[in-house]
Amino acid sequence: MGGAPVSATGAFVVGVGETRYAKWGGIDDKSEYQLAIEAILAALADAGLGVDDVDGLSSFAEDRNDATFVAADLGIPELRYAGLSWLPGGGGACAAVANAAAAVQSGTAEVVVVYRSLCQGQFRRFGRGPGNAPAAGRRVPAVRRARGILDAHVAFTMPFGVFGPPIAYAMVLQRHMHRYGTTAEHMGHVAVTTRAHAARNPRAVMGGRPMTMEDYFEARLVSEPFRLFDCCLENDGACAVVVTTAARAADAASTPVALLGSAQGTLRGFGHGQYSNVGMPDDDYASAGARGVAARLWAAAGVGPGDIDVAQIYDHFTGLVLLSLEDFGFCGRGEGGPLAASGALAWPDGALPTNTHGGSLSEAYIHGLNHVVEGVRQLRGQSTCQVAGAETCLVTSAAGVPTSALVLGRP
Amino acid sequence: MTGRWFPDEMPVPAASAETAGWWEAAAAHRLVVQRCDACGTTRHPPGPVCPSCRSAAASWHAVPGTGTVYTYTVVRQAFIPALADRVPYVVVVVALDGSGGARLVSNVVDADATEVTVGMPVEVVWEDMGPELALPRFRPRGTPSEPS
Repeated sequence: MGGAPVSATGAFVVGVGETRYAKWGGIDDKSEYQLAIEAILAALADAGLGVDDVDGLSSFAEDRNDATFVAADLGIPELRYAGLSWLPGGGGACAAVANAAAAVQSGTAEVVVVYRSLCQGQFRRFGRGPGNAPAAGRRVPAVRRARGILDAHVAFTMPFGVFGPPIAYAMVLQRHMHRYGTTAEHMGHVAVTTRAHAARNPRAVMGGRPMTMEDYFEARLVSEPFRLFDCCLENDGACAVVVTTAARAADAASTPVALLGSAQGTLRGFGHGQYSNVGMPDDDYASAGARGVAARLWAAAGVGPGDIDVAQIYDHFTGLVLLSLEDFGFCGRGEGGPLAASGALAWPDGALPTNTHGGSLSEAYIHGLNHVVEGVRQLRGQSTCQVAGAETCLVTSAAGVPTSALVLGRP
Repeated sequence: MTGRWFPDEMPVPAASAETAGWWEAAAAHRLVVQRCDACGTTRHPPGPVCPSCRSAAASWHAVPGTGTVYTYTVVRQAFIPALADRVPYVVVVVALDGSGGARLVSNVVDADATEVTVGMPVEVVWEDMGPELALPRFRPRGTPSEPS
């Protein structure tokens, strides 16, 4: 893109912050909630702002750290906006930023902090669902009463052994392989490339663990076609970003980054994604489900895939990155695997350096809010895999569930 | 036919007002999908209204119990201890015959995991997990039944 982009949304990211990232159980001296607070304070310090400047908080579904408590415990003088995107799990990170932008653009609030904290060592694997098991040796006489809509929906998956996201999303990739000839090696390119990016990032949980394609294939199978390194990390940590108006951004301590556009939502029939709904049209099943979000994103941002300098693509699983590349138009349907195999995703020489922080596969799994943080760093020129002269960054949230995406720009 | 393939420790399904009828049919070894009384559109999982015409009137439509594997995964990791000696097992999405396009998440049993393919014809078998709880699993169509 030529010239200096302006923020079409009127909103800017002026601060990013994070805690230490550690493997599952690696942070046991602070609670998940304390980490959320720490990340929020770090993002505000980065922006040169204080708690007294904050009047809004934004997060996304399945957050255990209620904004109301955050506001009280931080001593926010007056909370004017407390937004929660319904988009499940990793689908809502970009939406939470977009909702913060909408809040500042409408005048509802002026400084909104978006946050996510995820301590899987203190809670448990994300995405296991609410299904419970009987005590050993006891047969269960009948179905039990559902505790909610999700509980009733996962009854159609979990009792059949769908215990976690690797199992649910493996079936999406298997269908994609069947239709288009996508291979394990295609997925391996995503894993290996992302790990190489993490090696340069001191925050990355897997920064000290280089990986070859041979290592990728030698790792155990979890749920075919996914091997261990097709699956994202399970870890402890938190991050936050500060969103504000153009007027406030002008005074920020950091270089403001413009939100050029956003989109969120879902195609018909996705429900909570693979835990509940598998009846969507075939073209949508074997996809990221982001076709509609992508079309609306490019229209809103006034740019297209050819204008993007660097991308942070949600990577709960390697294979889903391939599907997102297809949905967002970087290649045709079924061509995501060959695109990755061509080296396109690799920093610094690829056509579309992707997940330059190491992603959820190798930096940290913070439900993709760390992808927004990395997008901001790229446009400030502060990434550990800096794309020279980067002016635009695509950030996407989870594939295969209702989702969201952003285009960030250097103002 | 019926049999046992999975341990008692598997997650227990929960039913809501919308889905209870499906589980009652399953307990009687009847495989059904919910069908709109107004326009005939089927839906799964069951829901409060028809997503096509929004009518709340619906019935349980019995399906033949045959279908094909739409997609699958061979699960190699035991996510609960009770499955430690039961891996690998196969999770499938079955495209149900005579269902108006409905798909169901289930398992392929009585088959070598490496033999499962997309498009494989399958038929329902029932696993009684308790006196009033049965789950539909699927086996390759034509497999002779084995006592268990």
